[in-house]
Amino acid sequence: MSSDIAIRTRGLTKVFRSRFGRREVRAVDGISLDVPRGTTFGLLGPNGAGKTTFVKLLLSAVHPSSGSAAIFGRDSRNRNARRPVGYLPENHRFPTYLNGAGMLDFYAALSGMPARDRAGRVAELLDLVDLGRWAGVRLRKYSKGMLQRLGLAQALMHRPALLILDEPTDGVDPVGRALIREILADLERRGVTIFLNSHLLGEVELFCRQVAIIHHGRLALTGSVKDLTTGKGYCVTAMKVPPAIHDRLRGESTHDTVSSFRFNTREEVNQAIDALRSAGAEIESVAPSTSTLEEVFLRTVQAGSRE
Amino acid sequence: MNSVTAALIRDTFREALARRVFWGLFALSTLMILFILFLLRIDIVEGAVSTVGIFGTSLSRRIWNPERLVNHAHAAVAAFLYTFGMLLALFASATLVPSMLEPGRIELLLSKPLSRPQLILGRYVGNLLVIAANITWLFAGVWVILGWKTHVWHTGFLYAILTTIAAYAVLLAVIVLVAVVWESAALATMIPVALVIMSPILAQRDTMEKLLSSDLSRLIWNVFYYVLPKIYEIGWITRRFTFGQPIQDWMPLWSSAAFGAATLMAGIWIFARRDF
Repeated sequence: MSSDIAIRTRGLTKVFRSRFGRREVRAVDGISLDVPRGTTFGLLGPNGAGKTTFVKLLLSAVHPSSGSAAIFGRDSRNRNARRPVGYLPENHRFPTYLNGAGMLDFYAALSGMPARDRAGRVAELLDLVDLGRWAGVRLRKYSKGMLQRLGLAQALMHRPALLILDEPTDGVDPVGRALIREILADLERRGVTIFLNSHLLGEVELFCRQVAIIHHGRLALTGSVKDLTTGKGYCVTAMKVPPAIHDRLRGESTHDTVSSFRFNTREEVNQAIDALRSAGAEIESVAPSTSTLEEVFLRTVQAGSRE
Repeated sequence: MNSVTAALIRDTFREALARRVFWGLFALSTLMILFILFLLRIDIVEGAVSTVGIFGTSLSRRIWNPERLVNHAHAAVAAFLYTFGMLLALFASATLVPSMLEPGRIELLLSKPLSRPQLILGRYVGNLLVIAANITWLFAGVWVILGWKTHVWHTGFLYAILTTIAAYAVLLAVIVLVAVVWESAALATMIPVALVIMSPILAQRDTMEKLLSSDLSRLIWNVFYYVLPKIYEIGWITRRFTFGQPIQDWMPLWSSAAFGAATLMAGIWIFARRDF
């Protein structure tokens, strides 16, 4: 586990073929990606883009057609590569005959955690996800949100160095989401690599340092959230702008009395501020213009669809 | 056995308990034991059985030699338990392997640091132990009660435990293969039951040799006979055990074991290569 790269894929490809090989679907198409150790990484993509297949390839639930995947430098097909991994699948179906404590104990045993460490850890994690009182209750009585929190606890049982979460807040209420975010933030501070597969862009933007966008099975875009959402140029907002100067500077009215202006260079910004001030307008803010992750995502996906 | 395999076996037991598979079989086995304990009356006078009765009614006024009576009782019980117990076990447990392969459950199991053969073998052994525990309880319970009532303790009857478990182990291998290929609990029940039903028909080889007109059809019949498990003939081996008679032909047992081993290996091989 000495590698500084938590996940590395090279030309990872998965082609699903129908039983008689007549039809084929390229679910993942030559993805090469590096996820550095200790980062929070978001995997984005529209439905059917190949995100879940990519995650399953990492965990060897699906075998690659070509290419390779490594976890902390170990070939992902080697079962020991999965030892430092905690995983919460999308649409999980935990055995409902188990209770909360039994479920955590079972999956921790499969992760190779010794029995003497499990009992204390079970109680600790049930408390962490606020399910301490539900330890002895069978899972069939749990709500979707409770199962999701329990699933997260299951992924954390053996203190993994890499956490792969597929839609972790699906079905969780706002209070539960805040709790999950808090737990993940704490794990990030402790240096755990978090790989988040989610369609909730706001959540990914809020939490992840780096993202990758997959479209039609291919890697369409990757980079840090900060770089991707920082636009080129600046945005100036001002109040009480006379109509003539508003039109001259090609302003956009966001409110009756508030106008916003976009400029490409610092020089243009300074000239505009001078013009606005001399016309009696009040400067509200000057900031580098940004895009939301949703805008970046939509631009990327739409560009990919046009190709 | 390592702790991961132990966890998989424990989990299979818990699922069997929760699905009432274990308790259902246990209750039926216990009913059978209680039936023999309370409703079967055997009076022994001066070393001979003078009365055999059921529900308070005498079945026979003949004076029986207790050993002979016990032999016949063992054989009848073994034949009954071997066939109906086997079918019951198949119906009850055929869902235990397919349930592990359900989407949303298998992905999480595969994400753990264990090999796929270990995963499927853990389930196989767990399932086998669930049924073995019930079969042992049933046969051993009947043996103790008949022994207590007649003071005859033939150990040959206990071999029926081994042959019944062995025959079930072969059919369980078929369940594993069917479940891995089709993920269908219905098929995983139907195919082993079909093998049980076909077994006495295929065993009529001598008759069929005379009835079948062409060499090709005789060859096909023989291929099916030799390849498929010989559940019916293992039943006869069980019967000979209970009578304390020597076994002249072990072929049905070893060829069925070979079929089971090959089927299980095929199931493991396919499971290791499948995408989930």
